[in-house]
Amino acid sequence: MPGQKAIIGTASTLALLLVWELVSRSGMVQDKFLPAPSTVLYTLGSMIYGRDLLYHAGISTLRVWSAFLMAAAMAVPIGILVGSFRPVGAALEPIVDFIRYLPVPALVPLSIIWFGVGEGTKIFLLWLGTFFQLVLLVADDVRRVPVEYHEAAMTVGAPGWRRLTDVSLPAMLPTLVDNMRITLGWCWTYLIIAEIVAANSGLGFVIWQARRFFQTPEVMAGVVTIGIIGLATDQLARALHRRWFGYLTR
Amino acid sequence: MTYLSFDTVTKRYGKTEVVQPFDLDVAEGELVAFLGPSGCGKTTLMRMVGGLEAPSSGCIMLRGEALTRPDRRRGMVFQSYSAFPWLTVAGNVAYGMRYRSDLSAAEKRDQVAHFLDLVGLTAFADEWPNRISGGMRQRVAIARTLAAGSDILLMDEPFGALDAQRREFLQLELRRIQIDEGKTVIFVTHDVEEAAFLADRVIVFTRRPARILAEVDVTARIGASRTLEMREGSGFFALRNELLHHVRSTASQEEDAV
Repeated sequence: MPGQKAIIGTASTLALLLVWELVSRSGMVQDKFLPAPSTVLYTLGSMIYGRDLLYHAGISTLRVWSAFLMAAAMAVPIGILVGSFRPVGAALEPIVDFIRYLPVPALVPLSIIWFGVGEGTKIFLLWLGTFFQLVLLVADDVRRVPVEYHEAAMTVGAPGWRRLTDVSLPAMLPTLVDNMRITLGWCWTYLIIAEIVAANSGLGFVIWQARRFFQTPEVMAGVVTIGIIGLATDQLARALHRRWFGYLTR
Repeated sequence: MTYLSFDTVTKRYGKTEVVQPFDLDVAEGELVAFLGPSGCGKTTLMRMVGGLEAPSSGCIMLRGEALTRPDRRRGMVFQSYSAFPWLTVAGNVAYGMRYRSDLSAAEKRDQVAHFLDLVGLTAFADEWPNRISGGMRQRVAIARTLAAGSDILLMDEPFGALDAQRREFLQLELRRIQIDEGKTVIFVTHDVEEAAFLADRVIVFTRRPARILAEVDVTARIGASRTLEMREGSGFFALRNELLHHVRSTASQEEDAV
């Protein structure tokens, strides 16, 4: 069955690309607005040499991962505490909830005042966009661990703090990994904003530069590159999920 | 001194009274069955023994010491499947001993093998709980609780999901473990036959709020040892009918109320 799914997925994607190619070639829309996929693909190839595309993609990926790992390393323990201990939740949740609703772009000026236009601002914005969301997601994951698991642990003599590591953590791990995969995707959104506003490297910078010279194929090639990186990361994360949490499948 | 005693224990959730002032003494090594209609409050009483819920008033004492929080002395087998999906069958059984410092690693391994054999899951030792049947998962939870080596076993309809043959086998095994190892057991069930066959004493409960409707001393009537042949004997038959009669009267209460 997974084979069948892959075939359908590939076929529908190819069909879409074919329609796009035909529309562009027929001259119904100007090349300047919608270049054909073959043009985008060709541009992408030439950008690898001419525009250091791989370097910019690498920089962007590095930024996303360093901010994401920082956010996750902080959010997972804090989220577990928020979800496990009511007073901690009561103390932190209003603050977290408030900041979570602030749109990241609104904080760009403040971030530039605080951190200038260097790497600090980019990492901060990405961290801001993911840390608070992740805290709440993790807290919810902890709360969803069936109470029977905890009660069973208590009646075989598990001390309270051991239940965090021996019950809460393994029970929530599959959803935690899923939530991290989704949050990592959001990081890319914030990254592009950060790189458009304040950067001289990265995919956001490349796209924005190309736009200034009306190089639509380059703009699209930049966007496609992000898509490819996202797709690859997501598939990898799903594969790891299946591998690590195979015990969940019946 | 009484071993385990309920001293005018009550429980209410908000305005709903779940348990009316309840008194009962349980002797060490005794198997007491709580028999009553579903939702009558018998599970709540058992959870209070486990320290998972606190009485609204009164207290439950173990050798004169009030029980407040759960610990390894009182192991619990839950009605729902509580086997951990992230541990294998053997891993779940071993988990019952994780916080025991009185056993060496080798002894723990032996115990895992022993309890897996007891519940008939040796062939499934390395399987994941999600890939075995519900009844097997329940047996994993039973083995895990037995491995914890609690003095008191609290069992909430533990054999409900099992087929008749496995159920009968485990009833006999539970009786054997109780007598051989001197375990005290509180066994919640709504199955009259099971209560009569397993228990030293059966407490029949009314509908909610829980109150003792009748108390039947089974061991005084048919003796402490139980065999499958007894199930067909006239003594057991009379006992079963008597319990059935009590249970029916809780049903007629309901009709009176309507």
